[in-house]
Amino acid sequence: MQTSVVSFRKRVEAALADPTLKLAIDRTTGTAERKRAVAVAAFPQFDAARERGKRIKAHVIEHLDHYLLEFERNAIASGAKVHWASTADEASRIVVDLCRQAKARRVTRVKSMLGEEIGLPHALDAAGIERFETDLAEHIVQLGGDRPSHIVWPSMHRTREQVSVMFKKAHRVPHKDETIEAMVDSARRELRDKFLSADVSISGANFLIADTGATCTVTNEGNAELTTSPPRVHIVTAGIEKLVPSLPHAFALLRLLVRSATGADITQYTTFHCGPKKPGDLDGPEEFHIVLVDNGRTKMLADTGLRDMLRCLRCGACMNHCVVFRQLGGHAYGGTYPGPMGAVLTPVIDGLEHSRELAHACTLNGKCQEVCPVDIPLPTLMRGWRDRSWREGLEPAAMRFGLGVFTFVASRPWLYRMGTAMQVRMLNLFSRDGWIRSFPGLGAWTAYRDFPAPQGRTFMARYASGEGRRK
Amino acid sequence: MTAREDILGRVRAALGRRSIDPSTVQNAAAALLADLPSTRPDALGGSLVEAFIARVTSPKVAATAVRIPSAAALPDAVAMYLQERGLQKTVALQPHALLRSLDWTAYEVHGSVASDEAVAVGMARWGIAETGSLVFHSGADSPVLANFLSLHHVVAVRAADIVPYLEDYAMAAAGLPMPRNVNLITGASGTTDIEGSLVLGAHGPRYMHVVVVDG
Repeated sequence: MQTSVVSFRKRVEAALADPTLKLAIDRTTGTAERKRAVAVAAFPQFDAARERGKRIKAHVIEHLDHYLLEFERNAIASGAKVHWASTADEASRIVVDLCRQAKARRVTRVKSMLGEEIGLPHALDAAGIERFETDLAEHIVQLGGDRPSHIVWPSMHRTREQVSVMFKKAHRVPHKDETIEAMVDSARRELRDKFLSADVSISGANFLIADTGATCTVTNEGNAELTTSPPRVHIVTAGIEKLVPSLPHAFALLRLLVRSATGADITQYTTFHCGPKKPGDLDGPEEFHIVLVDNGRTKMLADTGLRDMLRCLRCGACMNHCVVFRQLGGHAYGGTYPGPMGAVLTPVIDGLEHSRELAHACTLNGKCQEVCPVDIPLPTLMRGWRDRSWREGLEPAAMRFGLGVFTFVASRPWLYRMGTAMQVRMLNLFSRDGWIRSFPGLGAWTAYRDFPAPQGRTFMARYASGEGRRK
Repeated sequence: MTAREDILGRVRAALGRRSIDPSTVQNAAAALLADLPSTRPDALGGSLVEAFIARVTSPKVAATAVRIPSAAALPDAVAMYLQERGLQKTVALQPHALLRSLDWTAYEVHGSVASDEAVAVGMARWGIAETGSLVFHSGADSPVLANFLSLHHVVAVRAADIVPYLEDYAMAAAGLPMPRNVNLITGASGTTDIEGSLVLGAHGPRYMHVVVVDG
């Protein structure tokens, strides 16, 4: 999916001006942060598990060709059909063609970030195939006609009040009580017959198990199994980095993924799909297709600076703990993936020229790497994009000029001291009760919060006068 | 060139690889699973069955559980569950040989699960104490939908089939034919999609009751 044409700055302004959005983000990310902390504290082996998880993913990435072939061989042996797609468009086309071959009028979909990445909802709509999102959050996103704003809670940007209005408008037998329970019930009633009457189901994969050719999906709602069992055809789309050698390797990663995502120890449903309906089976699809998608992943593999990102489990912990994400929400990032991991991935998928600002929307506080279950050096990767954007001349003239001036001043100590002393005096002129509410050139800051006034003179001046120095 | 060859070609070029020795990769993969206890949660106290029940009934899984001496006592255990909740004695019974062999005469039993089924009774192949999960392998005696359509899901599992950790299930199932679906089910269906607050009974069952069969 292409990042939207509206500039990052415009999206940020819109996000910051929306008080409901801030409320909605806080309600979900706050809970996620607290629950993860409790889950990790209750699992003293977490650090060792994280190290193992990191090594498993690194091992697969280093032997990706081996595991792709092993997975393909075993998947075919299980009766699955395996397809390969280099790009997002190719992947979407394969899925749409499979739906057409199945003469599908109605498809049900299980939430999959890869599906979003390759623009599958749009491709199905464009092909005139009726699409039902079965994950509750994706159902809300579909009704709202917008995009997911979080990779684990796609409708995090909606408050319960907004959801209530949408359900009352769209559902045949909507809720009466204004409780979240009643709204969930309304969606359960509305979607039940959609599960059972679809021609094709489409899902993603959290893991691809090389030694059996099975795909693994984790969910809490049970929508995945209800979606993928009744239709005649089941299609899985998965990124090629999702491979693991075997079931025990997947279990080692599951312990990290679920705790990091929701603070649970395991999801309610952990399901392994292996081939189509077997002889004697009472349900299941006649056809089982797996579409293996590259879409920039081999580019990341070739770039040692980005290779670490292929370890990503898509847990969302980095965004839940990101001070920038928690102000903006996911839509402001413009791509499929928001937050720190999105700031690293979006330039790969959509091109750095369309997304160079994302790497700047970061304080480099390091929290994302700290909570990452596979220790991805996200701040380093974002610095890498900043660096590349500078080298490729993508930074705007004002930025280049500003940094030029700073370099000139900072490399001349006398000028730097004079400049900062002047600035302190100027800032103090605008200070009221220790805070600056507006200042020429600081509008972007003071529009949303006050700027702290300087405490006396510059650090250099105070240091030179012996203040605070050991006698 | 097909997309397959393109992708494999790019992977090999990126890795700078000429050839790989499968046994070297296999050994490296096996080494990554050395010393599993160092990266697993501590075992819960008590016997395996006690640990499993403690886990299943903990707030994290939030199911109810009961222990019965033998499978013959299952219809009565189910009756008690239904009575406590004011439910009728109508159940969808998984087409499992052991379940079918029991005396359900006091019940209205049907074989397939309706889309608005109130109660489904099933038999799990394994239980996992670490997570309180029940494991089902789909097949002629275990349709997948039987575990997902009803509002109440009552699941029996034999005490002898309870294993300590996730990996122990993998060991127990190794060598068995891979079914179309392996379902690890842990408690009732839930969602936190509206404002992060947990609501049970999203699409799957809202209530889970586990019956551990000792005999």
